[in-house]
Amino acid sequence: MKKIDFHIHTVKSISDRPFEFSLESLKEYVEKLSLDCIAITNHNLFDREQFEEINRELEIKVFPGIEIDLEGGHILLISENENLRDFEDKCNRVKGLIPSKDDSIDYDQLIEIFPALNNYLLIPHYDKKPNIKPLTLDKLGENIFSGEVTSLRKFKTCIKEEDKLTPVIFSDCRMVEGIENFPTRQTYLDVEESSLNAIKGCLYDKTKVFLSENDGNDFFQATDDGIMLSTALNVIIGGRSSGKTYTLDKICENFENVKYIRQFSLLQNDKENFKKLVTTRHSLITENYLKDFKDVVMEVNEIDLKSNEIELEKYLKTLKKFALENDNLDTFSKCSLYNETQFETDNLENIKKLISSTKTLLENTEYKSIIDKHVTEDGLKNLIVELIIKHNELYTNNLKKSWVNGVIDQIKDGLRFRSTTTAIEPVDFQKIQREKLKVRKFETLVDNLKIEKIIDSKDIRGFKVLAKTKKYTGASQLKAKSRRQLAFSEAYNNYDKPYKYLISLQNVGIEETEFYKYFVDIDYRTLNKHGFEVSGGERSEFNLLHEINDAIKHDLLLIDEPESSFDNIFLKGEVNELIKEISKEIPVIVVTHSSTIGGSINPNHIVYTQKLVDSGKVEYQVFFGHPTSKVLKSVDGVEIKNFDILLNCLEAGEEAYIQRKTRSYDILKD
Amino acid sequence: MIYLKIEDNRGFFLKDKNSPEDWTELDKIEKDDLMKLLDYATEEEFDMDEYNEETLGNKAHQIIYKNLYEKFHNFLSNKNRFKDETDNIFKEELEKYQ
Repeated sequence: MKKIDFHIHTVKSISDRPFEFSLESLKEYVEKLSLDCIAITNHNLFDREQFEEINRELEIKVFPGIEIDLEGGHILLISENENLRDFEDKCNRVKGLIPSKDDSIDYDQLIEIFPALNNYLLIPHYDKKPNIKPLTLDKLGENIFSGEVTSLRKFKTCIKEEDKLTPVIFSDCRMVEGIENFPTRQTYLDVEESSLNAIKGCLYDKTKVFLSENDGNDFFQATDDGIMLSTALNVIIGGRSSGKTYTLDKICENFENVKYIRQFSLLQNDKENFKKLVTTRHSLITENYLKDFKDVVMEVNEIDLKSNEIELEKYLKTLKKFALENDNLDTFSKCSLYNETQFETDNLENIKKLISSTKTLLENTEYKSIIDKHVTEDGLKNLIVELIIKHNELYTNNLKKSWVNGVIDQIKDGLRFRSTTTAIEPVDFQKIQREKLKVRKFETLVDNLKIEKIIDSKDIRGFKVLAKTKKYTGASQLKAKSRRQLAFSEAYNNYDKPYKYLISLQNVGIEETEFYKYFVDIDYRTLNKHGFEVSGGERSEFNLLHEINDAIKHDLLLIDEPESSFDNIFLKGEVNELIKEISKEIPVIVVTHSSTIGGSINPNHIVYTQKLVDSGKVEYQVFFGHPTSKVLKSVDGVEIKNFDILLNCLEAGEEAYIQRKTRSYDILKD
Repeated sequence: MIYLKIEDNRGFFLKDKNSPEDWTELDKIEKDDLMKLLDYATEEEFDMDEYNEETLGNKAHQIIYKNLYEKFHNFLSNKNRFKDETDNIFKEELEKYQ
């Protein structure tokens, strides 16, 4: 079995953040993680001299490689450790073609540089960003049989699913000075020799690729000091200050996309804070519900009824004045065009829709038989022709009208410039009336919106979260909504007159795009299984269930002493069940002192941490193994009795356990 | 129903459709009256006496009547399209938030 890491960075490139390579760190990494083979894969470059130095200094097999930006994704190209000058030349050509971090080469350029691709091992970013596009993978064809993934879950999925590539996990690490925790992302291959061909042969076969040396894909190395964990459910136990949280922190640092539920973090004593939290979690529901209303508000916000009224008033005033001045018209105002109105152009949207709908009917093949039953094809053809003729006629007329309007305007301006008679101000009846009706509909809409109703209901493990629309009942609520020191009292006085209210919101100092939030509030209520509002304890319970549920979007779940905030019945029932469920998908690690969790959850793996103080020197020890094993073992082979540990950590020792069982509980039994 | 009429060489408009006998002279028309007439033109059967200089002798009324007549005539000739258009305003939203 060989342990490999074929994705290591040693040179800062244009695609990297600044870093200084440390050969010592690389040596330590290789030794501490017991690696058998590594590949040096820098972004779009190969530094031969540095590679040769690394090769000289390390006692394991080192492969030269390069991580290439290929058609927008990343791919590792690894060569056998020979013909280094030729490999260097080729990599230099890649480097020349990728002058900035946004550049990449295409498939043809890759083939031109590396014509015999089958001489190399190609590993694309597969379930890892930026991944190689499926189209590029197709082009690379049989040269691709293995792909890099980022998590244990993705690794296991690729192993299970037939049509997926053979997965590999690598560190993708920059070897710098002073690394405290070395990554544990490596892959084991069931291969005898460390040649590129042998490794390639192994990667063709999914059954020869593993997460652990001896336990297949059900275990993985969690920390660089050798702690092995199950890819399912793990329980970490140990006395106070024995390094449990330290271990959890270390694991958290080593992996990406981790859900870490820290001790006491979920206690929810404050009702208002809890409400805010639930509201934020469900903000998508609020947003989706009010999405269309937001557009309406934006549209109505453009309407200025006041200015429409003024326009109408000016029109009437000038019309009457002009009528009175009728006897004294001058040469200019006597001209008919002096007060000529503009032609209104026809809106062609409806006829365009009709043409498009008829076209859909004509072109549809899926439901042709049904359409043919009711309308003949000839009828539809005639219809579309007539509609198009009508459309063109209206369109031509519109062009003519626009042209005439332009001429009228020009002449009117000329006449009015020279005349002293009042000119009748223009007015657009259609626009004024349309906008008035729009505002009326808006007001009906807002009235409907304000009627209290449940818009969403979600059941979450015995709890129910209800989203309900609710009217604002005071300016302070609006202010709270804005989370700013703004004065809403004047605006709120108009709350029952939606359009007026909208206009007054314009003076409050909030963004126009936010106006829609101030018409109706969405209130979230969390109910317990009896249908009552949750209590303080239940709020915390709900939080824990929500967080564990949410862990499914992550690659690893860590929970630190849940019993510190929750009672046993709840833990044994809901929590244990949910943790078991989640652990079928991702590795779960629970730190606990509680027998309810530690004892009843039936973990797949148990880890025991212990602090030893010897002559003032503190040492931490970690033992692990199967929960039913008689002994747990440390990395260096020290054994410890599992039975003693469980009783000490979960039951306060054997004596206390027997005493509790026989003297306390048994006596109370009927 | 007739909302603009010519009588005794003067133009009149109907202020309120519920008082069909109560006609007001056109030179007294205010913006609120015009707003109301626009509502009637949108919602009701809206008729007007045709503009006729022979029957409408008053010069000032001629100008006001002619102008209003043309504007309402234009508005009414597009009434179907206007109705289709305004019926659809916020239709989907009104259904969603019912």
